[in-house]
Amino acid sequence: MTAPLLETRDLIKNYVIGGEMVHAVNGVSLRIDRGEFVAIMGASGSGKSTFMNMIGCLDVPTSGVLKLDGIDTRTLNSDELAEIRNRKIGFVFQQFNLLARTSALDNVAVPLIYAGVGPAERRARAQARLEAMGLGNRLLNTPAKLSGGQQQRVAIARALVTNPLILLADEPTGALDTQTSLDIMGIFQKLNDEGITLVVVTHEPDIAEYAARRIVFRDGKVIEDEAVTSRRRAVSS
Amino acid sequence: MTELLNKLAAWGVNVAIAFTALRTNLMRSILTTLGVMIGVFSVILAVAVGNGAQVSVTQQIATLGSNMAIVLPEPERANGPPRPGDRGRLTERDGEAIARQVPGVVAVAPQIRTSVQLVTGGRSASTQAIGSTESFASISNLGTADGRFLTRSDIGSAARVVVIGQTVADKLFIDVNPIGEKVRINRVPFTVIGLLESKGSNLGNDNDDQIIVPITTLRQRLSTTTAQGPDDVTLLFVGFEDEDTLVAGDREIKNLLRARYRVSKGKITPFTVRTTKEIAETSGEVTQIFQAVLVAIASISLLVGGIGIMNIMLVSVTERTREIGLRMALGAKRSDIRNQFLVEAAVLCIIGGGIGLLLAMVAAAIFQQVADFPAPIGLDTALLAIAFSGIIGLVFGGYPAIRASRLSPIEALRSE
Ligand SMILES: Nc1ncnc2c1ncn2[C@@H]1O[C@H](COP(=O)(O)OP(=O)(O)O)[C@@H](O)[C@H]1O
Ligand SMILES: [Mg+2]
Repeated sequence: MTAPLLETRDLIKNYVIGGEMVHAVNGVSLRIDRGEFVAIMGASGSGKSTFMNMIGCLDVPTSGVLKLDGIDTRTLNSDELAEIRNRKIGFVFQQFNLLARTSALDNVAVPLIYAGVGPAERRARAQARLEAMGLGNRLLNTPAKLSGGQQQRVAIARALVTNPLILLADEPTGALDTQTSLDIMGIFQKLNDEGITLVVVTHEPDIAEYAARRIVFRDGKVIEDEAVTSRRRAVSS
Repeated sequence: MTELLNKLAAWGVNVAIAFTALRTNLMRSILTTLGVMIGVFSVILAVAVGNGAQVSVTQQIATLGSNMAIVLPEPERANGPPRPGDRGRLTERDGEAIARQVPGVVAVAPQIRTSVQLVTGGRSASTQAIGSTESFASISNLGTADGRFLTRSDIGSAARVVVIGQTVADKLFIDVNPIGEKVRINRVPFTVIGLLESKGSNLGNDNDDQIIVPITTLRQRLSTTTAQGPDDVTLLFVGFEDEDTLVAGDREIKNLLRARYRVSKGKITPFTVRTTKEIAETSGEVTQIFQAVLVAIASISLLVGGIGIMNIMLVSVTERTREIGLRMALGAKRSDIRNQFLVEAAVLCIIGGGIGLLLAMVAAAIFQQVADFPAPIGLDTALLAIAFSGIIGLVFGGYPAIRASRLSPIEALRSE
């Protein structure tokens, strides 16, 4: 039996603000296997983002075990963590986080720069990802010339361009209208059908119903973890 | 091989990122570049002027004659100029003895120098008169542009003939060929027999502002105040066969003169012998110091330019903290971020340095035209300037770049 894609045990992250300790993530133990589509829910301030940042190797836990693809990431140095973020993880953010004044193509190619891929291959792979997102006619547009939904699709293309093991999306639909949000979830569902593992944070229950498994956070702890029963399917266009 | 190509390509990416960033804040980039530009401009110009001084000194030394020594009747002083009491005696007969007894001596030309007033037609000029012999021309590489130099018979007969320098000719004779013209020197009538070849000016000293008359004539007709006896001279020019005899000649001349003047053992030699070789060496040192001082002063502006770079790079890092966080989230290592900002600083500096270099070349050319002073900028100086501005970028961009690379990914990403 292969190791789980992601495994946490008693994962804790504390912040000290103004002399007071905040238990942002307060002992989370769970595992996520390959091919899963997980929605993380919970009230604002319940620790969802903090958890995502730790499993995405952007932030370091205060204590606990964190294993990604069998690797104990807490033993890695900053260069090794950068490599994990580059090769194994794809991030999608609420605010898209595209580079301004930079074409869609160049934005998608950024992770490949850090993967040491040469310019011609970078271009080809970035273009293929954008075309798969239906943005083949928007390759040279800068973010300012793209709608919110298009920008988020560029961001998804960028997250996928290094063929990561897992896609992490922290409120990816938070800045989008309802229809566009559903489109994005449809894309996620399609990717999941193709075998990509996804963890998506959302606080909208109907958005969460696109996932196969729902985890609910409260006060830094997991209070619910169950399969989505009434799973919604996107109407593919 | 492909590894290396990929590395090069990665730097290429950084250059592209740098240009995008610099274009985004175009005005700011230009102003920052201006600082480095002015710095490089002044350093290059200082180097060029220093080089020019060196060239000029070399030329001046060449005008002295190649293997020549000057003998002065005063003791060598390590520090400061000679004192009035220092001045001893030196005679034409000492010169003859040197010519006879010192090995390798080709010729000796005695000299008496005095200030004179020249008048012809309605014009006048004051200049320095050198009384010497026919050997003076060959020893000190003096040629005539027109007419002839002094001859042995001019000296023997104490002829009232004069060879004039170009500057003197320009002052006294306009639209007239000076050769054969009459001129009164300190009221004594002379005939101009020759015009010296121009030797130009070096460091403000006009080599053409002088006249040469037979030493005998000068003694008899143009009063000199320095001479103590009928045979006394101001100094002796001694021409040598080659550099080896010149170097040995220094001691030989001193020993001979000590013997002739019966200077007892242990007393200092009351004579100075300066060889062209020595003069070249000390002048070289002096101009090198001159150049170093110039460059040091100019470097201050380069330092200021560098600090400007550091300042703007710190601003840039702060403004782009979120971008740095994003790049880290996408897999940038600390070294990638560091290199990105280093390249940005280096690009700023190299652009500034390049423009500064071009401006310096223009200024040097103008300088050369207007001030008639050579200020050469060689390829080595140009390459050095570009390399140096790149290094300025790396040094002053280093701190901001390292600061950027040390940011925590999540904190950078969260910043606004
Ligand atoms: N960098 C930080 N410094 C201090 N406290 C933080 C920081 N990040 C998050 N927190 C706190 O940790 C708790 C969880 O935050 P977060 O993970 O962002 O919640 P969520 O994403 O579920 O809204 C909150 O109380 C928040 O104030
Ligand atoms: Mg959050």
